[in-house]
Amino acid sequence: MIVSRDLYVTYKWRQEPVLKGVNGTLEGKFLILGPNGSGKTTLFRAICALTNITSGEIIIDGKNVSELYATSGILSTNFQEVYTLIGSNVYDLIGLYIDLSNGDSELAFNIIEDLGLSSKFLRQRKLSELSAGQSKIVCTALALAMKAKHVLLDEPFEELDPAKKGKMVKHLNDYTGVILANTHETWLLKNLQDWGVFFMFEGILYGPLSVRDLLKAEISLVEEPNPLLKVKISNKMVNIIRGKGKGTLLTSLENLDRIYELAEETK
Amino acid sequence: MTKYLKMNAKSLLANPYILFWSILFIEFWVFMWAYIFGNYIPQVEEAVRIYSATAYGNLLMLSLSGAATTIASSLLYSSKSIRYVTKYTRLSPSRFLLENLSSSLIVLLTISAVMFVSVVGVFFARFGFVILPIDAIGLAFSIFLSTLFMYALSLFLNFLIVILRAPKSASFISFLPLILAFTAYASLWIDIKNAVYFSPFNCIVSICYYYFSGQIPPTGNFLMQGEKTFVDVGLTITSLVAWSALLIILDIILLKKMRGVGVEEIRTA
Repeated sequence: MIVSRDLYVTYKWRQEPVLKGVNGTLEGKFLILGPNGSGKTTLFRAICALTNITSGEIIIDGKNVSELYATSGILSTNFQEVYTLIGSNVYDLIGLYIDLSNGDSELAFNIIEDLGLSSKFLRQRKLSELSAGQSKIVCTALALAMKAKHVLLDEPFEELDPAKKGKMVKHLNDYTGVILANTHETWLLKNLQDWGVFFMFEGILYGPLSVRDLLKAEISLVEEPNPLLKVKISNKMVNIIRGKGKGTLLTSLENLDRIYELAEETK
Repeated sequence: MTKYLKMNAKSLLANPYILFWSILFIEFWVFMWAYIFGNYIPQVEEAVRIYSATAYGNLLMLSLSGAATTIASSLLYSSKSIRYVTKYTRLSPSRFLLENLSSSLIVLLTISAVMFVSVVGVFFARFGFVILPIDAIGLAFSIFLSTLFMYALSLFLNFLIVILRAPKSASFISFLPLILAFTAYASLWIDIKNAVYFSPFNCIVSICYYYFSGQIPPTGNFLMQGEKTFVDVGLTITSLVAWSALLIILDIILLKKMRGVGVEEIRTA
Protein backbone atom coordinates (compact mmCIF):
# COMPACT_ATOMS: atom_id res chain seq x y z
CA MET A 1 0.00 0.00 0.00
CA ILE A 2 1.27 3.46 -0.90
CA VAL A 3 0.06 6.36 1.22
CA SER A 4 0.65 9.99 0.32
CA ARG A 5 0.15 12.48 3.14
CA ASP A 6 -0.16 16.20 2.45
CA LEU A 7 2.52 16.01 -0.20
CA TYR A 8 4.01 19.20 -1.60
CA VAL A 9 6.71 19.32 -4.27
CA THR A 10 8.26 22.53 -5.53
CA TYR A 11 10.99 22.40 -8.15
CA LYS A 12 12.34 25.90 -7.70
CA TRP A 13 12.37 28.07 -4.62
CA ARG A 14 9.48 30.55 -4.43
CA GLN A 15 7.77 29.03 -7.44
CA GLU A 16 4.26 27.62 -7.29
CA PRO A 17 4.30 24.00 -6.09
CA VAL A 18 3.76 21.28 -8.68
CA LEU A 19 2.03 19.09 -6.10
CA LYS A 20 -0.22 20.94 -3.69
CA GLY A 21 -1.05 18.76 -0.72
CA VAL A 22 -1.62 15.37 -2.34
CA ASN A 23 -3.44 12.90 -0.08
CA GLY A 24 -4.35 9.38 -1.11
CA THR A 25 -4.08 5.67 -0.39
CA LEU A 26 -3.07 3.64 -3.41
CA GLU A 27 -3.63 -0.09 -3.36
CA GLY A 28 -4.78 -2.41 -6.12
CA LYS A 29 -4.80 -1.26 -9.74
CA PHE A 30 -5.32 2.43 -10.27
CA LEU A 31 -5.13 4.83 -13.15
CA ILE A 32 -4.20 8.40 -12.44
CA LEU A 33 -5.89 10.46 -15.10
CA GLY A 34 -4.96 14.03 -15.70
CA PRO A 35 -4.00 16.43 -18.47
CA ASN A 36 -0.37 17.06 -19.39
CA GLY A 37 1.40 19.15 -16.76
CA SER A 38 -1.03 18.29 -13.96
CA GLY A 39 1.66 16.73 -11.74
CA LYS A 40 1.13 13.00 -12.43
CA THR A 41 4.76 12.29 -13.29
CA THR A 42 6.00 14.44 -10.41
CA LEU A 43 3.83 12.41 -8.03
CA PHE A 44 5.41 9.20 -9.37
CA ARG A 45 8.90 10.66 -9.04
CA ALA A 46 8.13 11.63 -5.45
CA ILE A 47 6.86 8.12 -4.69
CA CYS A 48 10.08 6.68 -6.15
CA ALA A 49 12.13 9.23 -4.12
CA LEU A 50 13.60 10.59 -7.34
CA THR A 51 12.70 14.16 -6.51
CA ASN A 52 12.88 16.30 -3.40
CA ILE A 53 9.72 16.47 -1.34
CA THR A 54 9.06 19.98 -0.04
CA SER A 55 6.73 18.78 2.73
CA GLY A 56 4.53 15.81 3.54
CA GLU A 57 5.48 12.17 3.25
CA ILE A 58 5.16 9.00 1.21
CA ILE A 59 4.69 5.75 3.09
CA ILE A 60 5.13 2.41 1.32
CA ASP A 61 3.96 -0.62 3.31
CA GLY A 62 4.35 1.32 6.55
CA LYS A 63 7.82 2.70 5.83
CA ASN A 64 8.74 6.23 4.88
CA VAL A 65 10.14 6.13 1.34
CA SER A 66 13.13 8.27 2.32
CA GLU A 67 14.28 5.50 4.67
CA LEU A 68 14.01 2.64 2.17
CA TYR A 69 17.30 1.20 0.89
CA ALA A 70 18.05 -2.11 -0.86
CA THR A 71 14.41 -3.15 -0.60
CA SER A 72 14.21 -5.40 -3.63
CA GLY A 73 10.67 -6.36 -4.62
CA ILE A 74 8.84 -3.41 -3.10
CA LEU A 75 8.68 -0.95 -6.01
CA SER A 76 9.55 -0.68 -9.68
CA THR A 77 8.90 1.92 -12.33
CA ASN A 78 9.20 2.44 -16.08
CA PHE A 79 11.03 5.80 -16.02
CA GLN A 80 13.73 5.45 -18.68
CA GLU A 81 16.19 7.48 -16.59
CA VAL A 82 16.42 4.73 -13.95
CA TYR A 83 17.62 2.20 -16.53
CA THR A 84 20.86 3.97 -17.44
CA LEU A 85 23.14 2.37 -14.86
CA ILE A 86 25.59 1.20 -17.52
CA GLY A 87 25.95 1.93 -21.20
CA SER A 88 25.54 -1.63 -22.48
CA ASN A 89 23.14 -3.00 -25.09
CA VAL A 90 19.49 -3.36 -24.07
CA TYR A 91 19.63 -7.18 -23.85
CA ASP A 92 22.45 -7.08 -21.28
CA LEU A 93 20.82 -4.15 -19.47
CA ILE A 94 17.65 -6.21 -18.96
CA GLY A 95 19.80 -9.07 -17.63
CA LEU A 96 21.46 -6.69 -15.17
CA TYR A 97 18.24 -5.25 -13.73
CA ILE A 98 16.62 -8.69 -13.54
CA ASP A 99 19.70 -9.91 -11.64
CA LEU A 100 19.63 -6.93 -9.25
CA SER A 101 15.92 -7.38 -8.50
CA ASN A 102 15.68 -11.19 -8.60
CA GLY A 103 13.12 -10.61 -11.34
CA ASP A 104 11.73 -12.78 -14.12
CA SER A 105 13.68 -12.40 -17.35
CA GLU A 106 11.30 -14.75 -19.19
CA LEU A 107 8.39 -12.41 -18.43
CA ALA A 108 10.42 -9.38 -19.59
CA PHE A 109 11.34 -10.94 -22.93
CA ASN A 110 7.83 -12.38 -23.43
CA ILE A 111 6.30 -8.90 -23.10
CA ILE A 112 8.97 -7.29 -25.24
CA GLU A 113 8.69 -9.89 -28.01
CA ASP A 114 4.88 -9.76 -27.87
CA LEU A 115 5.18 -6.02 -28.52
CA GLY A 116 7.41 -6.58 -31.53
CA LEU A 117 11.03 -6.30 -30.41
CA SER A 118 13.35 -9.27 -30.92
CA SER A 119 16.25 -10.29 -28.67
CA LYS A 120 18.57 -9.98 -31.66
CA PHE A 121 17.50 -6.36 -32.12
CA LEU A 122 17.99 -5.64 -28.41
CA ARG A 123 21.55 -7.01 -28.53
CA GLN A 124 22.40 -4.44 -31.23
CA ARG A 125 21.04 -1.32 -29.56
CA LYS A 126 21.58 0.77 -26.47
CA LEU A 127 18.50 2.09 -24.65
CA SER A 128 19.25 5.62 -25.84
CA GLU A 129 19.26 4.37 -29.45
CA LEU A 130 15.68 3.08 -29.31
CA SER A 131 12.67 5.10 -30.48
CA ALA A 132 10.44 6.58 -27.77
CA GLY A 133 7.87 3.80 -28.26
CA GLN A 134 10.48 1.01 -28.20
CA SER A 135 12.06 2.49 -25.10
CA LYS A 136 8.64 2.67 -23.42
CA ILE A 137 8.03 -1.03 -24.20
CA VAL A 138 11.40 -2.10 -22.75
CA CYS A 139 11.11 0.01 -19.59
CA THR A 140 7.51 -1.03 -18.92
CA ALA A 141 8.36 -4.71 -19.47
CA LEU A 142 11.32 -4.34 -17.10
CA ALA A 143 9.17 -2.67 -14.46
CA LEU A 144 6.67 -5.56 -14.63
CA ALA A 145 9.36 -8.25 -14.76
CA MET A 146 11.14 -6.96 -11.66
CA LYS A 147 8.30 -8.63 -9.75
CA ALA A 148 7.83 -5.71 -7.38
CA LYS A 149 4.76 -5.44 -5.18
CA HIS A 150 4.10 -1.90 -6.43
CA VAL A 151 4.63 -0.97 -10.08
CA LEU A 152 4.47 2.68 -11.13
CA LEU A 153 3.95 3.15 -14.86
CA ASP A 154 4.37 6.62 -16.27
CA GLU A 155 2.31 6.97 -19.48
CA PRO A 156 2.71 3.28 -20.45
CA PHE A 157 0.64 3.73 -23.62
CA GLU A 158 2.36 6.84 -24.92
CA GLU A 159 4.10 6.50 -28.31
CA LEU A 160 2.57 3.05 -28.91
CA ASP A 161 0.44 2.27 -31.94
CA PRO A 162 -3.16 1.14 -31.26
CA ALA A 163 -2.37 -2.59 -31.67
CA LYS A 164 0.49 -2.37 -29.20
CA LYS A 165 -1.61 -0.32 -26.78
CA GLY A 166 -4.11 -3.20 -26.75
CA LYS A 167 -1.39 -5.74 -26.04
CA MET A 168 0.06 -3.56 -23.29
CA VAL A 169 -3.39 -3.29 -21.64
CA LYS A 170 -3.57 -7.10 -21.62
CA HIS A 171 -0.16 -7.40 -19.89
CA LEU A 172 -1.21 -4.87 -17.27
CA ASN A 173 -4.45 -6.72 -16.61
CA ASP A 174 -2.54 -10.02 -16.29
CA TYR A 175 -0.18 -8.59 -13.66
CA THR A 176 -1.11 -9.65 -10.12
CA GLY A 177 0.54 -6.89 -8.04
CA VAL A 178 -0.34 -3.26 -7.36
CA ILE A 179 -0.13 -1.09 -10.48
CA LEU A 180 -0.42 2.66 -10.63
CA ALA A 181 -0.45 3.92 -14.18
CA ASN A 182 -0.76 7.55 -15.10
CA THR A 183 -2.13 8.68 -18.40
CA HIS A 184 -4.00 11.53 -20.04
CA GLU A 185 -5.83 9.16 -22.41
CA THR A 186 -9.41 8.26 -21.51
CA TRP A 187 -10.16 5.97 -24.48
CA LEU A 188 -8.59 3.01 -22.65
CA LEU A 189 -10.99 3.08 -19.70
CA LYS A 190 -13.28 0.49 -21.30
CA ASN A 191 -10.38 -1.99 -21.34
CA LEU A 192 -9.56 -1.54 -17.65
CA GLN A 193 -12.98 -1.94 -16.06
CA ASP A 194 -11.75 -3.53 -12.82
CA TRP A 195 -9.39 -0.67 -12.07
CA GLY A 196 -9.87 2.35 -9.87
CA VAL A 197 -9.24 5.92 -10.99
CA PHE A 198 -7.81 9.02 -9.41
CA PHE A 199 -7.88 12.35 -11.20
CA MET A 200 -5.11 14.84 -11.01
CA PHE A 201 -5.63 18.48 -11.91
CA GLU A 202 -3.23 21.33 -11.17
CA GLY A 203 -1.28 19.41 -8.55
CA ILE A 204 -4.25 18.08 -6.58
CA LEU A 205 -5.37 14.44 -6.47
CA TYR A 206 -9.11 13.71 -6.60
CA GLY A 207 -10.87 10.38 -6.06
CA PRO A 208 -10.93 7.47 -6.07
CA LEU A 209 -13.71 6.36 -8.39
CA SER A 210 -14.21 3.10 -10.21
CA VAL A 211 -13.67 2.82 -13.96
CA ARG A 212 -17.15 1.30 -14.28
CA ASP A 213 -18.66 4.52 -12.87
CA LEU A 214 -16.55 6.65 -15.14
CA LEU A 215 -17.45 4.86 -18.35
CA LYS A 216 -20.86 6.52 -18.29
CA ALA A 217 -19.77 9.65 -16.48
CA GLU A 218 -20.15 13.10 -17.93
CA ILE A 219 -18.43 16.39 -17.39
CA SER A 220 -20.66 19.23 -16.46
CA LEU A 221 -19.68 22.83 -15.88
CA VAL A 222 -22.88 23.76 -14.13
CA GLU A 223 -23.67 23.01 -10.49
CA GLU A 224 -25.12 19.51 -10.13
CA PRO A 225 -26.53 17.76 -7.07
CA ASN A 226 -24.60 14.69 -5.86
CA PRO A 227 -21.75 14.69 -8.40
CA LEU A 228 -19.34 11.77 -8.45
CA LEU A 229 -16.52 14.25 -8.06
CA LYS A 230 -15.97 17.99 -8.00
CA VAL A 231 -12.66 19.24 -9.36
CA LYS A 232 -11.21 22.70 -9.73
CA ILE A 233 -9.80 23.56 -13.15
CA SER A 234 -8.57 27.06 -14.06
CA ASN A 235 -10.43 28.45 -11.01
CA LYS A 236 -13.64 26.88 -12.27
CA MET A 237 -15.53 24.05 -10.55
CA VAL A 238 -16.06 21.10 -12.88
CA ASN A 239 -18.47 18.33 -11.92
CA ILE A 240 -18.04 14.71 -12.94
CA ILE A 241 -21.56 13.33 -12.81
CA ARG A 242 -23.39 10.10 -13.54
CA GLY A 243 -24.49 10.00 -17.19
CA LYS A 244 -27.78 11.85 -17.69
CA GLY A 245 -27.20 13.28 -21.13
CA LYS A 246 -26.60 16.73 -19.61
CA GLY A 247 -22.85 17.04 -20.06
CA THR A 248 -20.00 15.82 -22.21
CA LEU A 249 -19.26 12.10 -22.00
CA LEU A 250 -15.85 11.73 -20.36
CA THR A 251 -14.70 8.92 -22.67
CA SER A 252 -15.59 11.04 -25.69
CA LEU A 253 -12.75 13.44 -24.82
CA GLU A 254 -10.11 10.89 -25.96
CA ASN A 255 -7.66 12.66 -23.70
CA LEU A 256 -8.02 14.94 -20.70
CA ASP A 257 -6.10 17.85 -22.20
CA ARG A 258 -9.43 18.72 -23.86
CA ILE A 259 -11.06 19.45 -20.53
CA TYR A 260 -9.39 22.88 -20.56
CA GLU A 261 -11.00 23.61 -23.93
CA LEU A 262 -14.37 22.74 -22.42
CA ALA A 263 -13.72 25.03 -19.48
CA GLU A 264 -12.73 27.85 -21.88
CA GLU A 265 -15.83 27.38 -24.03
CA THR A 266 -18.11 28.03 -21.10
CA LYS A 267 -16.46 31.24 -19.93
CA MET B 1 28.64 -9.79 -5.98
CA THR B 2 26.07 -8.91 -8.64
CA LYS B 3 26.38 -8.72 -12.42
CA TYR B 4 26.97 -4.98 -12.02
CA LEU B 5 30.68 -5.28 -11.17
CA LYS B 6 31.56 -7.26 -14.30
CA MET B 7 29.27 -5.32 -16.62
CA ASN B 8 30.44 -1.92 -15.38
CA ALA B 9 34.11 -2.90 -15.77
CA LYS B 10 33.40 -4.18 -19.29
CA SER B 11 31.45 -1.04 -20.17
CA LEU B 12 34.21 1.30 -18.89
CA LEU B 13 36.99 -0.67 -20.60
CA ALA B 14 35.15 -0.29 -23.90
CA ASN B 15 34.39 3.39 -23.30
CA PRO B 16 35.82 5.34 -26.26
CA TYR B 17 36.60 8.40 -24.11
CA ILE B 18 38.72 6.33 -21.72
CA LEU B 19 40.45 4.56 -24.61
CA PHE B 20 41.27 7.89 -26.24
CA TRP B 21 42.07 10.27 -23.34
CA SER B 22 43.69 7.78 -20.96
CA ILE B 23 45.53 5.55 -23.38
CA LEU B 24 45.92 6.84 -26.96
CA PHE B 25 46.43 10.49 -26.02
CA ILE B 26 48.90 9.65 -23.24
CA GLU B 27 50.72 7.19 -25.53
CA PHE B 28 51.52 10.20 -27.70
CA TRP B 29 53.14 11.86 -24.68
CA VAL B 30 55.09 8.67 -23.88
CA PHE B 31 56.73 9.03 -27.29
CA MET B 32 57.26 12.76 -26.73
CA TRP B 33 58.99 12.04 -23.40
CA ALA B 34 61.16 9.37 -25.01
CA TYR B 35 62.09 10.94 -28.32
CA ILE B 36 61.75 14.73 -27.86
CA PHE B 37 62.06 15.70 -24.19
CA GLY B 38 64.59 12.89 -23.59
CA ASN B 39 67.16 14.12 -26.10
CA TYR B 40 69.34 15.67 -23.40
CA ILE B 41 69.29 12.56 -21.12
CA PRO B 42 72.69 10.80 -21.09
CA GLN B 43 72.72 7.13 -22.11
CA VAL B 44 73.48 6.09 -18.55
CA GLU B 45 71.21 3.57 -16.82
CA GLU B 46 70.80 5.58 -13.59
CA ALA B 47 69.96 8.78 -15.46
CA VAL B 48 67.43 6.94 -17.64
CA ARG B 49 65.94 5.31 -14.53
CA ILE B 50 65.31 8.68 -12.85
CA TYR B 51 63.98 10.09 -16.10
CA SER B 52 61.67 7.05 -16.57
CA ALA B 53 60.40 7.43 -13.00
CA THR B 54 59.59 11.12 -13.63
CA ALA B 55 57.86 10.27 -16.89
CA TYR B 56 55.86 7.38 -15.45
CA GLY B 57 54.70 9.34 -12.38
CA ASN B 58 53.53 12.31 -14.43
CA LEU B 59 52.00 10.37 -17.30
CA LEU B 60 50.21 8.02 -14.91
CA MET B 61 48.75 11.02 -13.09
CA LEU B 62 47.47 12.50 -16.38
CA SER B 63 46.19 9.18 -17.65
CA LEU B 64 44.30 8.35 -14.45
CA SER B 65 42.84 11.83 -14.22
CA GLY B 66 41.56 11.47 -17.80
CA ALA B 67 39.86 8.22 -16.78
CA ALA B 68 38.50 9.86 -13.61
CA THR B 69 36.92 12.55 -15.78
CA THR B 70 35.13 9.91 -17.85
CA ILE B 71 34.06 7.94 -14.78
CA ALA B 72 32.66 11.11 -13.17
CA SER B 73 30.76 11.91 -16.34
CA SER B 74 29.32 8.39 -16.70
CA LEU B 75 28.24 8.43 -13.04
CA LEU B 76 26.47 11.73 -13.59
CA TYR B 77 24.47 10.34 -16.51
CA SER B 78 23.45 7.35 -14.37
CA SER B 79 22.74 9.29 -11.16
CA LYS B 80 18.97 8.65 -11.25
CA SER B 81 19.65 4.96 -11.84
CA ILE B 82 22.07 4.87 -8.92
CA ARG B 83 19.39 6.37 -6.68
CA TYR B 84 16.83 3.86 -7.93
CA VAL B 85 18.93 0.68 -7.72
CA THR B 86 20.27 1.51 -4.27
CA LYS B 87 16.71 1.91 -2.98
CA TYR B 88 14.70 -0.74 -4.83
CA THR B 89 17.10 -3.54 -5.74
CA ARG B 90 19.46 -5.69 -3.67
CA LEU B 91 22.32 -3.32 -4.51
CA SER B 92 22.50 -1.33 -1.25
CA PRO B 93 24.43 1.99 -1.21
CA SER B 94 27.48 0.36 0.42
CA ARG B 95 27.34 -2.60 -1.97
CA PHE B 96 26.99 -0.25 -4.92
CA LEU B 97 30.04 1.71 -3.76
CA LEU B 98 32.02 -1.49 -3.29
CA GLU B 99 31.10 -2.88 -6.72
CA ASN B 100 31.51 0.46 -8.47
CA LEU B 101 34.86 0.96 -6.74
CA SER B 102 36.01 -2.55 -7.67
CA SER B 103 34.99 -2.23 -11.32
CA SER B 104 36.55 1.25 -11.58
CA LEU B 105 39.77 0.01 -9.95
CA ILE B 106 39.94 -2.83 -12.48
CA VAL B 107 39.80 -0.21 -15.23
CA LEU B 108 42.24 2.23 -13.59
CA LEU B 109 44.72 -0.54 -12.75
CA THR B 110 44.50 -1.81 -16.34
CA ILE B 111 45.31 1.69 -17.57
CA SER B 112 48.23 1.89 -15.11
CA ALA B 113 49.55 -1.44 -16.40
CA VAL B 114 49.28 -0.28 -20.01
CA MET B 115 51.16 2.92 -19.12
CA PHE B 116 53.84 0.95 -17.33
CA VAL B 117 54.39 -1.46 -20.22
CA SER B 118 54.46 1.35 -22.77
CA VAL B 119 56.90 3.53 -20.77
CA VAL B 120 59.24 0.57 -20.22
CA GLY B 121 58.89 -0.57 -23.85
CA VAL B 122 59.22 2.81 -25.57
CA PHE B 123 62.08 3.90 -23.29
CA PHE B 124 63.87 0.62 -24.05
CA ALA B 125 63.48 1.33 -27.76
CA ARG B 126 64.82 4.86 -27.25
CA PHE B 127 67.61 4.35 -24.71
CA GLY B 128 68.47 0.65 -25.01
CA PHE B 129 67.87 -0.20 -21.33
CA VAL B 130 65.03 -2.17 -19.83
CA ILE B 131 64.25 0.01 -16.83
CA LEU B 132 62.23 -1.86 -14.22
CA PRO B 133 61.14 -0.31 -10.92
CA ILE B 134 63.49 -0.66 -7.98
CA ASP B 135 60.59 -1.57 -5.70
CA ALA B 136 57.84 -3.28 -7.72
CA ILE B 137 55.63 -3.95 -4.69
CA GLY B 138 55.99 -0.36 -3.55
CA LEU B 139 55.10 0.86 -7.05
CA ALA B 140 52.05 -1.43 -7.14
CA PHE B 141 51.04 0.03 -3.76
CA SER B 142 51.44 3.59 -5.03
CA ILE B 143 49.45 2.80 -8.18
CA PHE B 144 46.69 1.32 -6.04
CA LEU B 145 46.63 4.44 -3.83
CA SER B 146 46.56 6.67 -6.90
CA THR B 147 43.65 4.81 -8.50
CA LEU B 148 41.75 4.83 -5.21
CA PHE B 149 42.15 8.58 -4.91
CA MET B 150 41.11 9.20 -8.53
CA TYR B 151 38.04 7.02 -8.11
CA ALA B 152 36.99 8.74 -4.87
CA LEU B 153 37.52 12.14 -6.50
CA SER B 154 35.46 11.31 -9.59
CA LEU B 155 32.60 9.99 -7.46
CA PHE B 156 32.73 13.07 -5.23
CA LEU B 157 32.61 15.46 -8.19
CA ASN B 158 29.66 13.60 -9.66
CA PHE B 159 27.72 13.77 -6.39
CA LEU B 160 28.61 17.42 -6.03
CA ILE B 161 26.98 18.24 -9.38
CA VAL B 162 23.88 16.27 -8.41
CA ILE B 163 23.51 17.65 -4.89
CA LEU B 164 24.12 21.23 -6.01
CA ARG B 165 21.76 20.60 -8.95
CA ALA B 166 24.34 22.16 -11.22
CA PRO B 167 24.11 20.25 -14.52
CA LYS B 168 25.14 23.48 -16.28
CA SER B 169 28.56 23.14 -14.64
CA ALA B 170 28.76 19.40 -15.34
CA SER B 171 31.36 19.67 -18.12
CA PHE B 172 33.63 21.94 -16.10
CA ILE B 173 33.33 19.97 -12.85
CA SER B 174 33.81 16.63 -14.62
CA PHE B 175 36.99 17.95 -16.20
CA LEU B 176 38.40 19.15 -12.86
CA PRO B 177 40.61 16.06 -12.35
CA LEU B 178 42.26 16.67 -15.71
CA ILE B 179 42.59 20.42 -15.10
CA LEU B 180 44.15 19.86 -11.67
CA ALA B 181 46.43 17.17 -13.07
CA PHE B 182 47.80 19.56 -15.68
CA THR B 183 48.30 22.16 -12.95
CA ALA B 184 50.31 19.61 -10.99
CA TYR B 185 52.24 18.80 -14.18
CA ALA B 186 53.72 22.31 -13.87
CA SER B 187 55.89 21.04 -11.01
CA LEU B 188 58.20 19.61 -13.68
CA TRP B 189 59.46 23.16 -14.11
CA ILE B 190 58.39 24.87 -10.85
CA ASP B 191 59.36 24.02 -7.29
CA ILE B 192 56.10 24.00 -5.32
CA LYS B 193 57.92 23.27 -2.03
CA ASN B 194 55.61 22.26 0.85
CA ALA B 195 52.48 22.67 -1.29
CA VAL B 196 53.32 19.20 -2.60
CA TYR B 197 51.84 17.70 0.59
CA PHE B 198 48.48 19.38 -0.02
CA SER B 199 48.23 18.43 -3.68
CA PRO B 200 47.20 14.77 -4.07
CA PHE B 201 48.20 14.94 -7.73
CA ASN B 202 51.77 15.88 -6.84
CA CYS B 203 51.77 13.20 -4.15
CA ILE B 204 50.96 10.61 -6.84
CA VAL B 205 53.95 11.77 -8.89
CA SER B 206 56.27 11.77 -5.85
CA ILE B 207 55.28 8.32 -4.63
CA CYS B 208 55.53 6.71 -8.08
CA TYR B 209 58.89 8.42 -8.63
CA TYR B 210 60.17 7.13 -5.29
CA TYR B 211 59.22 3.48 -5.77
CA PHE B 212 60.17 3.43 -9.46
CA SER B 213 63.63 5.00 -9.09
CA GLY B 214 64.51 4.31 -5.45
CA GLN B 215 65.43 8.02 -5.13
CA ILE B 216 63.79 10.64 -2.92
CA PRO B 217 61.83 12.92 -5.28
CA PRO B 218 62.25 16.71 -5.29
CA THR B 219 59.33 19.00 -4.39
CA GLY B 220 59.33 20.24 -7.99
CA ASN B 221 61.71 21.48 -10.66
CA PHE B 222 62.14 17.90 -11.93
CA LEU B 223 63.40 18.99 -15.35
CA MET B 224 65.35 22.08 -14.28
CA GLN B 225 68.91 22.41 -13.07
CA GLY B 226 69.80 23.99 -9.74
CA GLU B 227 69.33 23.37 -6.06
CA LYS B 228 66.37 21.19 -5.12
CA THR B 229 64.47 20.45 -1.94
CA PHE B 230 63.24 16.90 -1.38
CA VAL B 231 59.92 15.54 -0.15
CA ASP B 232 59.18 13.44 2.87
CA VAL B 233 57.77 10.33 1.14
CA GLY B 234 55.97 9.20 4.29
CA LEU B 235 54.12 12.51 4.42
CA THR B 236 53.07 12.31 0.75
CA ILE B 237 51.70 8.80 1.34
CA THR B 238 49.86 10.01 4.44
CA SER B 239 48.46 12.94 2.49
CA LEU B 240 47.20 10.75 -0.37
CA VAL B 241 45.63 8.27 2.07
CA ALA B 242 43.99 11.12 3.99
CA TRP B 243 42.60 12.67 0.79
CA SER B 244 41.21 9.32 -0.35
CA ALA B 245 39.68 8.54 3.05
CA LEU B 246 38.08 12.00 3.29
CA LEU B 247 36.60 11.75 -0.19
CA ILE B 248 35.28 8.22 0.39
CA ILE B 249 33.56 9.32 3.61
CA LEU B 250 32.00 12.27 1.75
CA ASP B 251 30.99 9.92 -1.09
CA ILE B 252 29.13 7.63 1.31
CA ILE B 253 27.28 10.58 2.88
CA LEU B 254 26.40 12.17 -0.46
CA LEU B 255 25.29 8.88 -2.05
CA LYS B 256 22.44 8.62 0.45
CA LYS B 257 21.50 12.28 0.02
CA MET B 258 21.50 12.64 -3.75
CA ARG B 259 18.33 12.10 -5.80
CA GLY B 260 19.89 12.15 -9.23
CA VAL B 261 19.78 14.44 -12.23
CA GLY B 262 17.83 13.42 -15.31
CA VAL B 263 19.73 12.84 -18.55
CA GLU B 264 17.52 15.39 -20.32
CA GLU B 265 18.33 17.96 -17.62
CA ILE B 266 22.06 17.49 -18.31
CA ARG B 267 21.60 17.61 -22.08
CA THR B 268 19.50 20.77 -22.04
CA ALA B 269 21.58 22.58 -19.38
